[in-house]
Amino acid sequence: MKLEMGYIHISDIEFSSESKIENGKLYVSTDALKALVLEDEKLKDVSFDIARPGESVRITPVKDVIEPRVKVEGKGGVFPGIISKVDTVGSGKTYALKGMAVVTAGKIVGFQEGVIDMTGPGADYTPFSKLINLVMVCEPVDEIEPHEYEKAVRIAGFKAAAYIGELAKSLTPDETKVYETETIKEGMAKYPDLPRVAYVHMLQSQGLLHDTYVYGVDAKQILPTMLNPTECMDGAIVSGNCVSACDKNPTYVHQNNPVVHDLLEEHGKTINFVCHIVTNENVYLADKQRSSDWTAKLCKMLDLDGVIVSQEGFGNPDTDLIMNCKKIEAEGIKTVIITDEYAGRDGKSQSLADADAAADAVVTAGNANQVVVLPKLDKVIGTLDYITKIAGASENTLREDGSLEVEIQVITGATNEVGFTTLSAR
Amino acid sequence: MPDSLFGCRPFIVVKEVVRLEDYVIVTNNPLVEEREGKTHTVELYDVGIEEILRLIRDRVHSGQRLLTHPLSGSVKPGETPYKSVLMTRGKEPFDLMSVELIQSAIEACGKFSFKRDEYDERAMRDFRIIDWTLIKSALESADSF
Repeated sequence: MKLEMGYIHISDIEFSSESKIENGKLYVSTDALKALVLEDEKLKDVSFDIARPGESVRITPVKDVIEPRVKVEGKGGVFPGIISKVDTVGSGKTYALKGMAVVTAGKIVGFQEGVIDMTGPGADYTPFSKLINLVMVCEPVDEIEPHEYEKAVRIAGFKAAAYIGELAKSLTPDETKVYETETIKEGMAKYPDLPRVAYVHMLQSQGLLHDTYVYGVDAKQILPTMLNPTECMDGAIVSGNCVSACDKNPTYVHQNNPVVHDLLEEHGKTINFVCHIVTNENVYLADKQRSSDWTAKLCKMLDLDGVIVSQEGFGNPDTDLIMNCKKIEAEGIKTVIITDEYAGRDGKSQSLADADAAADAVVTAGNANQVVVLPKLDKVIGTLDYITKIAGASENTLREDGSLEVEIQVITGATNEVGFTTLSAR
Repeated sequence: MPDSLFGCRPFIVVKEVVRLEDYVIVTNNPLVEEREGKTHTVELYDVGIEEILRLIRDRVHSGQRLLTHPLSGSVKPGETPYKSVLMTRGKEPFDLMSVELIQSAIEACGKFSFKRDEYDERAMRDFRIIDWTLIKSALESADSF
């Protein structure tokens, strides 16, 4: 499968009467975008704002972050199975607007949503502070259930991102990158001496407000299955997850999953990147057993030498992570797991809720309980109503000078478990 | 009476397959009883998060098996006041996984602090809804046969 990614660099965003992209600048008609978003009768209003890197702006509560894209050639469209037909994606040509994102915000589940600071120490902890963010704050109709609100905001974000992506369809990309992978048999013949490696990608799937969708299917209902690595890159996986700001994977992270990108970079050089395996993290223990058995079985059937496993979330997913690791290792396949840690504010507590001797190669994305002080910023997009209530905050969070003392788990993407993060030991 | 039909073994209820009558929901979340109480057996206790986890642990020690993860939702104990789990109704041989999971959940409580006074009714309602949606997702799996 061969995917050509065309990158169009966006240098600024401005509200305008007409939506267009000119000389790298995105002009957005808020009237057009508002009409699109309010097609959903569950939403009664939406407001738009722009947050640029370095500005004294705090965005909260953040729901999702999405990279605008457009399918230019080949099968399928953006967000297949959700707002495009369910054709298999991952081949042909896709343009992505780099340097910007659509950020959806709203009071869906007050205590579990995140913060993006565009300047100061908080900005250092989130990769999304480096983007020009078009923020949509969506207001629901009265008497709506949180999961209905989540769905409306989720779809509104995808529609807005697709609308903006469409503006780039006739442009010439600033940069083009081609990703190509072989079939199983072709790969074996082409790289007989390279270790066979796959990526086991665990998707948040614990129920309403904790969902991930694969081609529009709730990941809770899937059996572990194989994707071509370029499918995820082309929008096959999207987030419907409202919880755990620091270590959830917003849609932007699925579109730009660094594990997929790095494995593709090494494909044909140091490894043979055989395939991308997606699995789930259900609450029901029999589901966990079935999925981890199947993941290990697929790894064995593919005659893999090594596997990278990433999880999403804490607690319940730790069990899936360790079950996957143990069972894959038991098949004689080396595993490396990627996680974050909840090791307490002093870093001295047990980091994960589960462990096993087979998990002897671990990459950590950081301690989510680490405390940071975020200074008062000039402008808030969204609301600070929930800032003392979100996970990682406390009654001491809001200090007299307006600064916030919080654990980094409040910051969107701070300890992202596919490594889409700014924390590093380097 | 033949022991097979068309060459197949008779249907056997394996351990993992539980029926509605085989399990109970143990919870401290009143919304779970409100939403699921008419169709499921719900045992509601008016206790805090740590107490409900200890109560579940005691039941595990007495032979009931956990059917759901006690750290569901990536909502940390201590960051939510509510927890619901599915457990087998009857007693079974000692299940090590259940013991390890519940013990680990109780230990995780120590890392977080939940202070009920800090939360207004809207936030408490959100906590109840989240816990209910988590157990509901497990019921969909449990009741799928």
